[in-house]
Amino acid sequence: MNNKKVKGLSFDIPKIKKHQQNRYPLLFVDKVYDVIPGESAKGIKCFSYNEWFFPAHFEDEPSVPGFVQIETLVQTFIMTFLTIDEHKGKKTNFVSIDNVKFRRMIVPGEQLIIHAKLESFRRGIAKGSAESFVDGQPACRADFVITLPDVLNAFKPKNK
Amino acid sequence: MKKNLKIYNTVFTESFCIKDDQLLDLKYQDIIEWDSIGHMGLMNALEEAFNIEMEIDDIIDFSSYKKGKDIVAKYNISFSE
Repeated sequence: MNNKKVKGLSFDIPKIKKHQQNRYPLLFVDKVYDVIPGESAKGIKCFSYNEWFFPAHFEDEPSVPGFVQIETLVQTFIMTFLTIDEHKGKKTNFVSIDNVKFRRMIVPGEQLIIHAKLESFRRGIAKGSAESFVDGQPACRADFVITLPDVLNAFKPKNK
Repeated sequence: MKKNLKIYNTVFTESFCIKDDQLLDLKYQDIIEWDSIGHMGLMNALEEAFNIEMEIDDIIDFSSYKKGKDIVAKYNISFSE
């Protein structure tokens, strides 16, 4: 039994699917926890060899592709604002991904822990960062700018 | 050039990577950089540059370089000084 004090909200797969629109085969976070809406979130992703991409990436040396690592980060990151009631379940779009660093390979059997932080969220534009760890070792990190098109559209000029 | 006008122009030219001579007749969606996302970036940059917080209706009305000057002026930003 893990006696670590848990803070914030916790989301299993059914609850994650109610808050974001990513679905199999592109849903890359198994659990989101320690969520403080409007501030931060943590995520867990467990990689088994049954993942669809391992046989292709690569046949002789399976490892998690970079784009999947980025998705684990961003899918945890978006939970920092999609857990705000008025934005629950909304679609998100990328604006930018910066300062991406890949620190180690991730292979079948490993568990990724993701820490995401929201730095600002205004008028449908979210800015922040996320980093991931395997056994406490840094795995990947990135800074994100993400939009909620539904919110953004409400601020578009009506006339030219 | 007047100080606030220079700041206003610089926000536009830096936000959209354009030149001063493109500003006068510039309207929303005239260039690909001024789309809905670019618009939010422009609003944020203007708010930071002039230390103001714009109303939603003003953000929606901000449809051109010229119109934007009138809107920013409502926040006690004078373009004659």
